[in-house]
Amino acid sequence: MYCYKTGIAQIDDVSGGFEAGTNILILAPPMSYADQLAYALTKPLEGEYSIVLSTNERAAEVVDAFKLAGADKRFTGVIDAITKSSTPGITDTQRLMFVSSPTDLTGIGIKFSNMVETIFEGTFAEGEAGLFPPPIRFCVNSISTLLMYRRLEVLYQFLHVLTAKLKKIEGVGIYLLNSESFDEKTLSLIKQLMNCVIEVKIEQNVSYLRIQGIRGVSGEWLKFAVVKGKVNILP
Amino acid sequence: MISTGVSGLDEMLGSGIPRGSRVLYSLEPGVDGQLFMLSSLSCALAKGLSCLVILPNTTVDAFRNDAAKMYGARLDLVSGPVTFMDAIDRERIQKTASSDDAREREWQARIRKICRNRHVDVIFAYFDLLYEDFGLEKAIHLLESAREDKKTTLILEHLNLEGVPLLERFTGEFSFDLVIAIRSSFRPIPHFNYFTLVHTSWSPVAQRSVPFIITEGRIIPYIPKIVVTGPPHSGKSTFVSQASDDGQSVDRRSPEGEPTTVAMDFGWLRWKDFDITLYGTPGHTRFDPLLPPYLKHAMGVVLVVDATKPETFPRAKHLIEMTAKRRIPYVIAANKHDLPQGIQSGEIKSALGIGDEIPFFPISATKRSDVHFVLESLVDSITQFSY
Repeated sequence: MYCYKTGIAQIDDVSGGFEAGTNILILAPPMSYADQLAYALTKPLEGEYSIVLSTNERAAEVVDAFKLAGADKRFTGVIDAITKSSTPGITDTQRLMFVSSPTDLTGIGIKFSNMVETIFEGTFAEGEAGLFPPPIRFCVNSISTLLMYRRLEVLYQFLHVLTAKLKKIEGVGIYLLNSESFDEKTLSLIKQLMNCVIEVKIEQNVSYLRIQGIRGVSGEWLKFAVVKGKVNILP
Repeated sequence: MISTGVSGLDEMLGSGIPRGSRVLYSLEPGVDGQLFMLSSLSCALAKGLSCLVILPNTTVDAFRNDAAKMYGARLDLVSGPVTFMDAIDRERIQKTASSDDAREREWQARIRKICRNRHVDVIFAYFDLLYEDFGLEKAIHLLESAREDKKTTLILEHLNLEGVPLLERFTGEFSFDLVIAIRSSFRPIPHFNYFTLVHTSWSPVAQRSVPFIITEGRIIPYIPKIVVTGPPHSGKSTFVSQASDDGQSVDRRSPEGEPTTVAMDFGWLRWKDFDITLYGTPGHTRFDPLLPPYLKHAMGVVLVVDATKPETFPRAKHLIEMTAKRRIPYVIAANKHDLPQGIQSGEIKSALGIGDEIPFFPISATKRSDVHFVLESLVDSITQFSY
């Protein structure tokens, strides 16, 4: 089974990376640079593909962030739920697709399926071929935003379908959630859909992460920084 | 009647949706099925019907752009008799009304006002957010209350995250007239979509599923497998070849000097808005072990029999029994019926042991019109067959 390298030795050395079909929740307070961590874990390595569902940044910003992280843009797709509300006439391309707003779960589901289909058909990356079956990293750059627009029960059902599809295509899913804005019930319900949780905290301007749910990986807090799309675990 | 915009589906429904009906297009997550609603909207507008479109999760401009991209210029959402309530209206109602009850009243009042002033014939509502805001019963009531004389047709599109239990509520508890579930087999490859006619109140069509493809902004129902079988030399390859827009024959010369099918003929055609793929089997008994896999997943069977060769009828009867056992709809084509030695239909039917309920056609497989007539009947059988 394919393993998705994380660049974090504490994970890669023990298990080879995230197993195909893993769904990972990143629980982080605001302004903890957790989005950089999420993008670093989503960035496609050689032969892989990435899809980002962006609920709080425009597609152009996501593409820039991936570019800075050294990702090959031909293997990166964005489903943008922001831009269309201000630019209704914007047109989909193979790798940039737009839905009217984060409330539009129908549109999000369809664009996700379409993108996965083009990846499997081999028409996604301008004729460049990746691995087959294609390893796909998928990121939702904030479940928090979706929760602002849709009820928890509805979103739970939607994410249940999405995480199951990710498993079926042997992808890996990375979902960001603000740990401070939601009650315990919400966090616990969303965690039920995940195989792994990465908690992030900030103390005296230093970021820490803690990994739970990967066998053999200790659950202790690790100092980290993300530099050019790579997660560095600090001593 | 209001057309769904999908001819094949209209045929299954008996020429469309009766005025005043309540319709649900239920979409599974990820299924590209938004064209069903747009097709119906386009047909209603083309017929000059006054339409109200309720889109709580998007703006009119974004909707117009999306619709134009998906459906093309055929859908006139600018000059047609259409009124919108969109995400901006929802936001205003959320802000101004202080409670759920007040919001419900406000929605009702606005919808009712538009329906009266514009003499709305059809309400098209994207239902997800209304359901979420008010719950199922209240959300349906809210739309229902605008249909004062019950002549207004109500068509909903809903992202169904609850599966079959929700469909059952629409058909049972809320007595919707038509419920169509648009689904997908989410396997990475192949990935295909299909619609299931879950319930119709006005026609006795049994629940059935039909795959569809989307091409050039149109939904095309797709019949992936019709098997053409029959005794040797009955005219199966000729039938497939005459029926098809494109295809491949695998006939080879037999020791007796006649052409005989050594593998499987293949043909493809578009007929009555259905995409159809034909598989012609070899007729000799030595190929019988291949027949069960051929018949597996077949949606219909054409049994071709040579009307001039009564000695082949027992073989044809055996093939009919194999098909009937699998409960696959089938029709009989009595080929070469036009030749002088052609046997009368009644005698053939009696020899084959079939009654009047089985469509039977005396044909010449060399005539394209005859062949298409048989296929037309089979498509009807497939779409109306009670399994």
